[in-house]
Amino acid sequence: MLSVWKTGTAAHRRYMLRTFAFMIPYMLVCIAMMVTDVFDEVIGKPSGWILAAAVSAPVIGQLWATLSLIRESDEFVRAVTAKQFIVSAGLAMAVATFWGFAETFAAAPHLPGWLVYAAFWGFFGCVAPFIRASN
Amino acid sequence: MKNSLKRLRLERDWTQEQLGQALGVSRQAVNALETEKHDPSLDLAYRIAVLFARPVEDIFENPHG
Repeated sequence: MLSVWKTGTAAHRRYMLRTFAFMIPYMLVCIAMMVTDVFDEVIGKPSGWILAAAVSAPVIGQLWATLSLIRESDEFVRAVTAKQFIVSAGLAMAVATFWGFAETFAAAPHLPGWLVYAAFWGFFGCVAPFIRASN
Repeated sequence: MKNSLKRLRLERDWTQEQLGQALGVSRQAVNALETEKHDPSLDLAYRIAVLFARPVEDIFENPHG
């Protein structure tokens, strides 16, 4: 992480700052949900929508940070990051679609929809080492 | 795309970082060009040509003829 900060481009450094800015509040909310019961009384109520929006906002922000990295980088980094993003998103959608139908037709256990975001980054980490060229 | 970018850079004793700064791209982009992992846009190819004061065809091999 430190080496990326030193050797990366200005766009990479902005991406890291934005990622920390979004992920720190996200983690704090998640930890608060796990170790306290402050959110229990809103679950299932209309105010639960506000909680859902509050938790997903940093995730959406992180996606914006990634797309900003693509927009602000030079043509090579932009092309490679976009390829990695597209392949990862495709794999995550494929797995989510398969699992959704498996729940419908094969009585597979239900998985929460937000897991697709974790799956996306998991796939991103897997495909990134293999997508190093833009051509 | 085959090119003579590395030779031209080394003739001037430039690092990839220095060449990247001169072109307005990252060191990774220069490395990708030199190792044929990136085909430059027309805009970048012309910037490279201007920097080295050579025609584009002298730096990048035409893959179609």
